[in-house]
Formats: sequence, structure tokens, C-alpha cells
Amino acid sequence: MQARLIRREVLPFVLSLAALVAAALLIDAALHLLDIVWIGRWLGIPGTLLILASTAYSLRKRKLIKAGKPAQLLRWHEYLAWLGSLLVLVHAGIHFNAILAWLAVWAMLINVGSGLTGKYLLARSKRRLEITRKQMRDQGLTPAQLADRTYWDSLTFDMVKRWRVVHFPITLAFAVLAISHIVATFLFWSWK
Amino acid sequence: MKRGWLFWTIVANLLVLVGLAFAYPQLMISPGPLVAGHTELATDCFACHTAWQGSTAQKCTSCHALPDIGLRTTKGTALPQRGLKTSFHQQLSEQNCMACHGDHAGPKLTKHSRKPFSHALLQPAAKQDCETCHAKPTNTMHSALTVDCVQCHQTDAWKPATFAHATLAQTVLARCETCHKAPGDTLHSQIQGNCGQCHASTAWKPVTFEHAKFFVLARDHNATCITCHVGNDYSRYTCYGCHEHTPSNIWRKHDEEGIVNLENCVKCHRSASGEHGGGGREGGKGRDGRERD
Repeated sequence: MQARLIRREVLPFVLSLAALVAAALLIDAALHLLDIVWIGRWLGIPGTLLILASTAYSLRKRKLIKAGKPAQLLRWHEYLAWLGSLLVLVHAGIHFNAILAWLAVWAMLINVGSGLTGKYLLARSKRRLEITRKQMRDQGLTPAQLADRTYWDSLTFDMVKRWRVVHFPITLAFAVLAISHIVATFLFWSWK
Repeated sequence: MKRGWLFWTIVANLLVLVGLAFAYPQLMISPGPLVAGHTELATDCFACHTAWQGSTAQKCTSCHALPDIGLRTTKGTALPQRGLKTSFHQQLSEQNCMACHGDHAGPKLTKHSRKPFSHALLQPAAKQDCETCHAKPTNTMHSALTVDCVQCHQTDAWKPATFAHATLAQTVLARCETCHKAPGDTLHSQIQGNCGQCHASTAWKPVTFEHAKFFVLARDHNATCITCHVGNDYSRYTCYGCHEHTPSNIWRKHDEEGIVNLENCVKCHRSASGEHGGGGREGGKGRDGRERD
């Protein structure tokens, strides 16, 4: 029995990332149709606040805060970061204006991608791969046969594992670029 | 080890990017190129922006002196007169250049949110003097008006307008056809002018005129209007417009009763079927008995 990681795990992952982009496009289109694009200009603020709130899990994981159950915080991390990213995407729209802001958006998207990798792929892939290996061992397959049959799944799993590692550095890149964008905005703009 | 290498690569890239933001702010930070007149300021953000305060009117007026706006360029060259519109910038109640102007062209976000000229920014005296900037329409309706524009129009848009007939002079008010086209149906095509006899100036409907209150138009009496209302004068009527009712014929019928007033027929006759009159028009004149619903 093959684990079929791509169909069972990679596709849902790609779909949830696509859902984020599709939702952003739909909201952006609605704002344009209703001629209320000015709302998008302000969505950067709640989006950033939601993403900031989502980092409670990251802080808890690194023991910088002690309150909260990690499993529950992880769920909130996923929801808040996804929703915050959606608002920031609508805020960015499909406009290519300042390079710094666009780099921040790309860093955010890569960040969401690496986060979803962790959510969808790593944990479940590992579990499925272990189950498959166990079943094969039970069927009396030799280690060599087992390695041969799970070659592609193992390769996929290794790539997924590597991708997961970039979540923190990319978060750093996103944070620096987003802060630069926010500082630049407040430097040249005023609330009035 | 491997992870540390990745971390420091990203840190180095970030430092380069932040450095580029300082070196090329017009590319890294600016939301779009400046308008043509400000091209030379493209790399000098603080020519227009004050740190943490945005673009202030003081920065604008340091080059664009308020008395010269619309009249002279920043270099002192006189600007050509642009038709009727005079420079209104001197008439603004407060200096808020960004309320109307945005110098970064391109981004749709700022384009859509940019407000057009707002009359609210004008000083009260300038706001009421519409003809300083706007030409009065030359069509028939507007040329007859002497009232202020704001009686019908608002400052944010020419339409929708609320027209009140009361703003018209009496002589113009009596000539409905100047502005309105007479309906082409059978009833109205027989009538010329005097729309006010049946219609109010507030709305075409409801129409309150009921002919049957004065005389029932049944059978032979369902004739053309001008049979009784000679010359389209609906304030008068005559019963002698048809061959049946000749003065001598009518006189003969009424003389024996001792009736001498043979002009105000509807005083006694409200229909062809008999005598049900009472309180009709005196002498067939002055139809003041018209009622409204």
C-alpha cells in the first residue's frame, strides 16, 4: 500500500493556500465593484494586529510566555495568521506600487506557505509514512524492498521537512519587511 | 550549522533591502511616480513630507504662494485665463491641499479615495456666488429663473435637482408649454394651455377635475370639448354650440316657465336627462366650483 502523500496531503495543503489567495481576490473584486476600495487601505492595520496576536503560540512554544495550552494556541495561531494574512493581501491588492511593501507581501505568503506545510504535511505525512512502513513490515517485506517501495514518499517527506525549517527565518524576513513598510508609512503619512 | 547559515543569509539580504529603502526611496517606498510638475522632487521625499506628519499645507505653500495659485506659476509667470473659472484657492476656508491634491500618480487605492473639489472648503460668501465659477445654463427653464441655484441644486452634484414651480415668475408659471410638452392623447390634444385648471404644479397626477360634477358627458353630450368650450376657454361654456340647442329653441321651451336666464344652463341641468341642478356656474362663467380630491 502506497502512502500517496501527494494526493492525500500535498493537494489539501495547496488548496488551503489557494483558498487564501482566492478569498483575497474575491474580497478585492467586491471592494472594486462596490467602489469602496478605500476600505482596503485600512485593512493592513487589523491584518497586522491579527498576525501579531497569532504569534502567542510562537512565544509559548519558545517558553517566552507561560500562559495557554500549546495545542489550543496552535489552532489560534493557524486561524489568526490565515485571517490576518487574508486582510493584508486585500490591503495589498493587485497593485504594484512600492517594492518594499510587495516584498513584505511575498515574505508573508511564503511564511503562510511554510506554516501550512507544518500543519498539513509534516505531522500527517510522518504518521502516514510510519503506518505504511509498518504495514509493509507486517507483510514480511525486507528493508530493501520497503525502502524501494517508499522511495518517492520518503523523498517527498524529506523535502517537506526541509521546507518546514524555513518558517522561522521567513518569519524574520516578513517581520523586518513589514516593520519597514509600517515605519515608512508612518514617516511619510499622517492620520489626518 | 546549516540553519545558522540560512538565518544569516536572510539577515544579510534584509539589511541590503533596508539599505536600498534609504538609497532609493522613490522605488522602495513611494506609492507611485510624482505628477509631471514635481518630477525634479522625485528623490527628495522631504520636500513635500514632514517626518511623522505627512504632507502639510505649509510645505506646499512654501513654493505655491497662496495669492499666486491659479494666477501665476511658482516661477512668477502669469497663467493664461481658463474661461469663466477664476482662481478660487484664495477663497478657501482652510488650507488643506491634500483634501483635493495627491501628487503620487498611479496607485488606484489613493486615486479612488482622493476627493474631488469640495464646495465645503469654500468660504461662505464664495460658496453662495455660484456664477463666479459656473456658467448659468441657457435653456428656457433656467434663463427665466432669478432665484439662487441652491433653491434646486446641491453643491456636490448638479443632479438630482429639486425643482419648485414657486421659484418661477407668475408670467412664466402660466406658460407650462415652455417647459412641458402637451400630451398627445385625444383629450389633451383638444386643449391648449390652461393646464392649471386640472393639474397642480406639484405633480401631474392626481388630476382632480371631474366633468360629471358640472355636467355628465353622456350620449349626445359626449362631444368634442370645443363644442361647448369655444376657443379652448375652459373657464366658460355655452350650450348653443350644437344644432340641437339654438337660442330660439331654448327660449321657446323656457319662456312659458318664466325663466329668463338662459345662459347658465347647468344651474338647473347637470345632465341631459333632466333638471338636477343647483349651484352651477353663474351665467356660464367663472368655474370656481372645481374641487380637488
